[in-house]
Amino acid sequence: MKAFDYAIAENTSGAIAAIGKKYRVKAAGIDLLDMLKERTEPGDRFVSIHRVAELGGIMTTADGLRIGALATLAEIGDSELVRKSFPALAEAASSAATPQVRARATAAGNVLQRPRCWYFRAKEYDCLKKGGATCFAVEGENQFHALFGGGPCHITHASNIAPALVAVNAEIRARGQKDTRVISADGFFTLPDKGVGRENSLSEDELVTEFVIRKLPTKSAYVEFKEKQSFDWPLAACTVALLDGKWRVVLSHVAPIPWRATKAEEVLGGTADIDEALAEKAADAALEGAKPMRDNGYRLKLVRAAVRRSLLEACGKAAV
Amino acid sequence: MSVDNNKAMENRLARPDVRQKVTGAAKFAADMFPKNVVYAKFIRFPFGKGKVETADVEAARKVKGVISVDVNMQADAKYAGHSIGRVVAETRDAIDDAVEALGLKFRFTDPRSRAEDVYQGVPEASPEDLDKLKNIFDQTPVVVEATYTTQVQTHTSLEPHGSMVDHRGEELEAWTSTQAVMGCQEGFENASGLSASKITVHAEYVGGGFGSKFSIGAEGGLATEISKQQGRPCRVVLDRREEHSDGGNRPGSIQYMKIGADKSGKIIGGRVHLMSSVGFGRGRGGVKNPNYYDFGTIVKTEADESLNAGLPAAFRAPGYPQGAFAYESMIDELAAGLRMDPVEVRLKNETSDRRRKQLKMGAELIGWDGRVADGASPGRIKTGYGCGVASWGNGKGKCQADIDVYRNGDLEVRIGIQDIGTGASAVVIDVVAYHLGIDRNRIKGRLGNSNYPPGPGSGGSVTSRLSAPALMDAAESAMKAVRKIVAKEMKVADDEVEYSAGHFNKKGSTQKVAWKDACALLPTEKVTVSGEFNDEFVGNGVSDCAQFAQVEVDTETGIVHVRKVVAVHACGKPVNRLTAENQICGGVIQGISFALFEQRILDRRTGGHVNHDMLYYKIAGSKDVPEIIPVLDVEEGDNGVKSLGEPATIPTSAAIANAVANATGARVRHLPITPARVLAALDSAKGGVA
Repeated sequence: MKAFDYAIAENTSGAIAAIGKKYRVKAAGIDLLDMLKERTEPGDRFVSIHRVAELGGIMTTADGLRIGALATLAEIGDSELVRKSFPALAEAASSAATPQVRARATAAGNVLQRPRCWYFRAKEYDCLKKGGATCFAVEGENQFHALFGGGPCHITHASNIAPALVAVNAEIRARGQKDTRVISADGFFTLPDKGVGRENSLSEDELVTEFVIRKLPTKSAYVEFKEKQSFDWPLAACTVALLDGKWRVVLSHVAPIPWRATKAEEVLGGTADIDEALAEKAADAALEGAKPMRDNGYRLKLVRAAVRRSLLEACGKAAV
Repeated sequence: MSVDNNKAMENRLARPDVRQKVTGAAKFAADMFPKNVVYAKFIRFPFGKGKVETADVEAARKVKGVISVDVNMQADAKYAGHSIGRVVAETRDAIDDAVEALGLKFRFTDPRSRAEDVYQGVPEASPEDLDKLKNIFDQTPVVVEATYTTQVQTHTSLEPHGSMVDHRGEELEAWTSTQAVMGCQEGFENASGLSASKITVHAEYVGGGFGSKFSIGAEGGLATEISKQQGRPCRVVLDRREEHSDGGNRPGSIQYMKIGADKSGKIIGGRVHLMSSVGFGRGRGGVKNPNYYDFGTIVKTEADESLNAGLPAAFRAPGYPQGAFAYESMIDELAAGLRMDPVEVRLKNETSDRRRKQLKMGAELIGWDGRVADGASPGRIKTGYGCGVASWGNGKGKCQADIDVYRNGDLEVRIGIQDIGTGASAVVIDVVAYHLGIDRNRIKGRLGNSNYPPGPGSGGSVTSRLSAPALMDAAESAMKAVRKIVAKEMKVADDEVEYSAGHFNKKGSTQKVAWKDACALLPTEKVTVSGEFNDEFVGNGVSDCAQFAQVEVDTETGIVHVRKVVAVHACGKPVNRLTAENQICGGVIQGISFALFEQRILDRRTGGHVNHDMLYYKIAGSKDVPEIIPVLDVEEGDNGVKSLGEPATIPTSAAIANAVANATGARVRHLPITPARVLAALDSAKGGVA
């Protein structure tokens, strides 16, 4: 691993001060340490926020939920509060990685992790995201790359819980050097054509402190499909939530951001009790706008199945 | 005393080093960090073919902690992972800093990355053979013509390849991750120029070998050279990426078959062409197509095609699983064409009564009766069943063992084999404990050291098979050595004293002397005896097996879940049932992983190995492991210890492929059976083939 300066923040203010001095944030370090070992992480000064207690925890608010940036995936998945009020989020958190990783990995780390594209992760590929001139996936090995919203870079967003946050349009609170910004999940994630080096609109001098869910869904479900059942990233997944009487359908692991399937949402409208026929119709609609690459088109079938099954599951119906 | 082959010798006791392994007290070669150690590492070319364009060697040499940096600017790199230089440094981080400081730029040219691109097709048969084939197909109403492919499976032992070598001028000590501690002594002899008597190789604990760890490798050679040059211990241990790219692999294959059967299901013969996609040189391919079944008259050709990719190495039953996948699939396709039950077709063409019996046992245990016609399982998630068979030879070999008998009745056994994770450490003490009828806790087994009496490398599933007779022989000598003292005490000739179940007694008398009390009579603190491999306790015949799989296939997503595997294996006399069953389960899990997940993926443009980690190089994990029922098939007359490790992984992938085809009615002729391939098969056919 390359040498770096390391600071440990005792509280949020200390973390913000360090970030102001160009320190990059380390929480559990699950993704960051990998990148440091692979020498694909450009930073060399890091501040650990892992000890900052006020950034952790899960609690109810007047009308919703607050999830601290440092709440672990295990805490989210095991929380009775989350299981009852937003099952799709609990399910998404519980199905990520392994028990060991979930015990350590944080909510903010999961949302902000870098893409798992094998060209991005290997130092020798001077890809677009690393400042180069080529997306190697276009002509290369692209079975795990984006089906929607790709171009010029074709990563998929790797977070398991981000789609659930988008499904309820959660508030992402970020503290900067001067003030706190509230960013809606709908606007937080950014496509490559808006800046290929980044995956979201967080500034370098900001720290995500918490996720606030103002409105809880009346129904929700998360369905993912993995090749391997132990420690694998999904080939496709879908989170659905009935929020304010309207369905939100968010596809994941198939686009550079958690991907709203707006056509499917239009088909569903406010029908609270979805039957098989409507689920099928929505599943077909969810595929609109897909731009499959040479080797990843098969995953559209998985997207379709994930949409259909998650809708039926959210409505308490047998999906298979 | 002769060996009582009808006496059960088996137990279910845990291996003696289980606590050390679970707690981390066990020290593997990769755990060795002596004081004053120096680190060395190869610099690797990242693409399939090309040269280094620029390398700032001066900058790299200036990095703090760096001792030397060499880059071969002239090297014609032939595969991703090809060594193009080396770095020696005080720390591992300094090595990586030096490589970064090199600022390497590469030039790559078009690599040969994909087997299907280099496949030359099926060569035309000679006129004579064409006549033969015509004659066959004239009398076979059912013919299967198909091309099956298997992927490259890379070696991913938990412990990487590596050595820590301390070359002290006149002598050398090495800690090596190896499956051949004796072979490595010879390897270090060649690398150092020292004689074997001056070399000690340690491999007390080894985290997997699977065929890739017979030699000291380039890493052992580098560690020797640098240790000698620096006068310090040198450590060279590969990282995971190096393991995938340069640690050896099971080569890929493209297997063409056109086989005909008569109406009764008897295979008459046909045409077979086998291609192996190997590394940058030719050779080391070798798909195995053994005659477990009587295939009749076969016109067979074989070819290897080179790729710009890492070299193959032996890999648990080299050549066999890829062969089994093809011909077992072919048999099921014939069965479908014949509208016969696949087990019936196998019974019809089997060459072994033992396997016929095992096929029937396995069918019963998996619930073959519940199998419905291909694709007829109801619902979106469909259940299917499949099977396959294998066999393994049991030849003779060499092995020696020493035993120290102590005055307190304890024993220390020394044998130059190694436990690469199989449980050989349990077999060593259990064979001696059985033979002498004493508690295994009295016995300390020592293995994994080149100074011990020579034993075989762990290849060809020989370790237990060859060591058990030597251990028996040594145990017999130990008994005789103690008996001599007892006889003297009893004032009778040696052969007037009998030994059984841990006690000596004078013939015709009820007077007994327990082992411990007898040992107390020893005139010295200990006595040392030896034994060697002999025919008395050698496994006879072959190690036959049959495996059955039950799978569920989600036809909406193409995802396959293996639900149950029944593995019926002959292994001679089980010494330790727990380790034997573990061997079978390990083979089955590796077979599942080969069937569904593992594959080396090379970037078609650059030849880079894109899944050089354990994220995208997918290996079955705990949730992918089904219920496995290992059955040790022991018959009257099964003498000695027989091979088990390799046959256990041969038929698994074939059984799974057949079960998937049974579930879906759509056959996938390519491994691994990914969701993409299952969906394509379902698409192209609604009962067809992809």
